Amino acid sequence: MKLQNLSIKGKLMLITMLTSTVALVLFSASFLLYDLISFRHFLSEDLATQAEIIGYNSAAAMAFKDEAAATVTLTALKAKEDVTAAVLYGRDEKLFARYVRANVAQPSLPSVPPLEGIRFKGSYLEVVQPVSLNGENLGTLFLQSDMSQWNSRAKRYATFLLMFMVASDLLALLIASKLQTLISRPILRLEDTMHVVSAQKNYEVRALKFYDDEIGRLIDGFNTMLSEIQQGDSALQAANDALKTQTQELEGEIIQRKRAQEESLAAKRTAENASRAKSSFLANMSHELRTPLNAIIGYSEMIEEEIQDTGQFRNVQDVKKIQSAGKHLLSLINDVLDLSKIEAGKMGLHLETFDVAQMVQEMVATFQPTVAKNSNTLEVSLAEDLGLMRADVTKVRQILFNLLSNACKFTSHGTVSIDVARTETSDRQWIRFRVRDTGIGISPEQQTNLFEEFAQADVSIARKFGGTGLGLAISHRFAQLMGGHFSAESELGKGSIFTVHLPTTVSTEAAEAAKSKENSDPSAAAPQPQSQAETILVIDDDPAVRDLMSRFLVKSGFHVVVAADGEEGFRLAKRIRPRIITLDVVMPGIDGWGVLRRLKADPELAGIPVIMVTIVDNEVKGVSLGSSSYVMKPVDRALLTDLIERHRGARSLNLKPVPIGVRRSSEDDPRKP
Amino acid sequence: MRTLGIIAACLLCATLALPSRAQTSSSSDSSEYLIKAGFIYNFAKLTEWPASAFPAPDSPIVIGILGSDPFEGTLEQVLQGKTANGRGFVVKHLKWGSELKDCNILFVSASETPHLDQILHLVKGMTILTIGDTPNFALRGGMINFILEDGKIHFEANVEAAKQADINISSRLLSLARIVPHTVSDASKAP
Repeated sequence: MKLQNLSIKGKLMLITMLTSTVALVLFSASFLLYDLISFRHFLSEDLATQAEIIGYNSAAAMAFKDEAAATVTLTALKAKEDVTAAVLYGRDEKLFARYVRANVAQPSLPSVPPLEGIRFKGSYLEVVQPVSLNGENLGTLFLQSDMSQWNSRAKRYATFLLMFMVASDLLALLIASKLQTLISRPILRLEDTMHVVSAQKNYEVRALKFYDDEIGRLIDGFNTMLSEIQQGDSALQAANDALKTQTQELEGEIIQRKRAQEESLAAKRTAENASRAKSSFLANMSHELRTPLNAIIGYSEMIEEEIQDTGQFRNVQDVKKIQSAGKHLLSLINDVLDLSKIEAGKMGLHLETFDVAQMVQEMVATFQPTVAKNSNTLEVSLAEDLGLMRADVTKVRQILFNLLSNACKFTSHGTVSIDVARTETSDRQWIRFRVRDTGIGISPEQQTNLFEEFAQADVSIARKFGGTGLGLAISHRFAQLMGGHFSAESELGKGSIFTVHLPTTVSTEAAEAAKSKENSDPSAAAPQPQSQAETILVIDDDPAVRDLMSRFLVKSGFHVVVAADGEEGFRLAKRIRPRIITLDVVMPGIDGWGVLRRLKADPELAGIPVIMVTIVDNEVKGVSLGSSSYVMKPVDRALLTDLIERHRGARSLNLKPVPIGVRRSSEDDPRKP
Repeated sequence: MRTLGIIAACLLCATLALPSRAQTSSSSDSSEYLIKAGFIYNFAKLTEWPASAFPAPDSPIVIGILGSDPFEGTLEQVLQGKTANGRGFVVKHLKWGSELKDCNILFVSASETPHLDQILHLVKGMTILTIGDTPNFALRGGMINFILEDGKIHFEANVEAAKQADINISSRLLSLARIVPHTVSDASKAP
C-alpha cells in the first residue's frame, strides 16, 4: 500500500508518530551523547586521580626499589573494576612492577613507558604520569582502563532511553489516535455524505459541520454546492418536463400533419384517379365520337360524289350540310381535346426545320375559298429574308389558320392581310406573323379575356358566326408553348390586328428527344407526278374505314388490298409487296406499332413507305419507328392523295418524314402501347 | 686518587641507573653501602623534623656517622647536591663521646655496638633520627635499622621511638618497613 494512499487517519497518525519519534530520537541521542562525553571526561579525570594516588603511594617503594611493596600498591587497583592494567617503570625505563586484572588473559602492555598524558586508545583509556618523591623523578606509572563503567553506563542509558522512547511513543500514539479524530472525523463524515449524494443522487442531504475551521468551511462550501445542484436539478427536471410536454405536443402535431399528408395524398390520388378517368373518358369519347363522324363525313362525301355523278343536284346541298355539320362537330371535338391536352401539360412539340415563306404560301393557297366566301380580299406580304424556321410546323399552321379564319369570319367586304417578317431582340431572333382585318373589331372589355377559353366576344356572335371560341385560346397556348407571344389590338367597328412572335429556333426538352430522327428537307415536299395504278395495302380493323379508304383510293386510280388486323396485314404485305401501306394503330391483336416494327425489321419490306392513318396522336413515335407520314383520322382525302403521290417515287430512297399540313386532332389514348 | 674517584663515580652512576641490579647483586661492602647511602637519603626525604630541630629554615640536615665509617665516602658522594624538603646535607664523622645534639640523623656504625644502649640513652629526648646497622638496633630503642632479608637490603622501624623523639616518619616509609614493637630501654639490655 502506498504511503500517499493511506487514509487521513493513518496519515495523521503517521505524521504525529514520525514527528514525535524523530524528536525523541534526536533528544535521546543528544542527551546520551552529552552524557557519555561528560562521563568519559569524568572517567579520564577519575583515572588520572587514581594514577595520582597510585603514583604517590608507590613512590616510596620505587625509591627503596621495593618491588613487592610496589606490586602490593598496584594490586590495590583490584577495587577498580575498569582498570585492566597498571605498570610502574623505573627511571631506567624498565618494567618495575605491574598489575593485570584477573580476567584479562593477554594484556598488551607497553614494554617502555609511553609519553605522559591521558589518552583514549581504541576502547581503552590510558593514563601515563611520572612518579616522583620530593620532586625527584623516580619513574613512570601507566594505567589502562577498559571503560567498562562507561560501556555499562552507555548500555544502561541506551536501554533506558529506548524504554523511554517506546513509552513516549505509546503515549503519543494514544494521544494522536484520540486527537486525530478532530480532523479525520469531519472529513470521514463529509465523505459519507458525498457517497450518499453520489450513490443515491440524493441532493437533499447536508454534510454535518463540526468545527469552524478550514474543513468546516469546506463542508459549508460543499453544502452550498449541493443546494445549487439541487436547484439546478429541479430546474433541469422542470425543463425536462416542459420538453416532454413539448415533445408530446410536437408528436401530436406530427401525427396531425401526417394525417393531413395522408389525406392530401389520398386527395391527390383521388384527383389523379379523377384526372386519369377524365383523360380516359376524353380519349374514349373522342374515339367514340370520331368513329361515327368518320362514317358520317366519309359517306356523305361519297354520297355527294355519287349524287353529282347521277346528276341529282337538288340533294347535293343537303348532303353538303351534313358534311359541314360533321366537320364543324369534328373541329369542335378536336379543339376541346387540344385544350384539355394543353391543360394537362401533355402537348408535345414536334420540331422540324421548314421554309417560312413556302409554308405561308401553302396556307394562303388553301385559304382562298374561305376568303372569297365573305367577299374579302387577302393581301399577303412576305419579307425576303424570312429563310428557315425551326418549330412545330403543324402548330404554326394551326395558329395562322385560326387567325386567318377568324379574320375572314368577322370581316365581310373587307380586306384581310397577312405579313410575315423577321425581327430581332437583344437575345434572339423572331418571326413575326401579323394578321390584320377590317372587320367588326373587339371592344376593350372583350380584349381583356380575349385568350380565355370559350370567350367569344358575344354569345350572339357564336350564333351569327359559328365557331367554338377556342381558336384564339389554343393559338395563344401554342405560341407560349413554343416560347413565343401573342398580342392583339382592336378598335370596335374598325378591325383587329393580331400579332404572333415566334422564335426562329424553338427549343424544348420534349423536342430534343425526337430531334435526331428528323431531317427536314423542304425539297422533299416537291410533288411527284402521278404514275400508273399500283397496289396499296390498307390495314385497319374498322370495316367502315377500310371501305371508305378502298373506295376513295380505287377512285384515285390505285389497286387496293385490305387487311382487318395486324397479322393479316403483315402476311399480305409479305405476299403482295404493296407500293404503299396505310396502317391503323389501335387494332385488336398486334397493334399498329407492332406491325410497323415488324415491317421495318423485315429487310424485304423495310423499303415500303408506311403512312400511319390513326386517331392516336403520336407522330413522334410513328416517325421514330420508321413511318413515312402520319395522318390523323378522320382522313383528309386531299392530304392523303397528296402524300401517296409523294411516296410513290420514294420507294428506293431513304425514308424521309414529309411535312404535312393537316388539321390535327389531339388525343391521349391510354390504350396505346 | 683521581683515578679512584672516577671509578667510584662510575660505580655510583651505575648503581643509581640500575637499582634493581644493585638490589640483586651480591652484598659486597662497597655496593651494599652505596645502597644504604641511598636509603639514608630516602629516609631523610620521608621524615619530618619539628622546626625547632633546625637553627634556621634553610639549615641543612646534619647526618652524623658515629664510629668507623662503612660508607667510605660514598654517602657524601650520594648526597652531593641533593636536597630534602628544601634542605641540603652535611655529613659529620663522630666518635664515641662526641657532641651529638647538632645532628639530625645519627648513623650508629656497627663498630659502636658495645655501647649502643648508652648511645641510645644519650640521644633520648633529642630530635635525632637514629639509624642503625646492627641486629636488634630498633628493638633496643633505635628508630630505623638496616637488615638483610633474602640477600636484599631492608629496614625495620620503631615507630614509638620516633614518636617519642617528636620525629614523624612518613607512613609511606613505614609501609615499606618491618615494624618493630617498642620496648622499655631497660629491656633492651637483656640480650
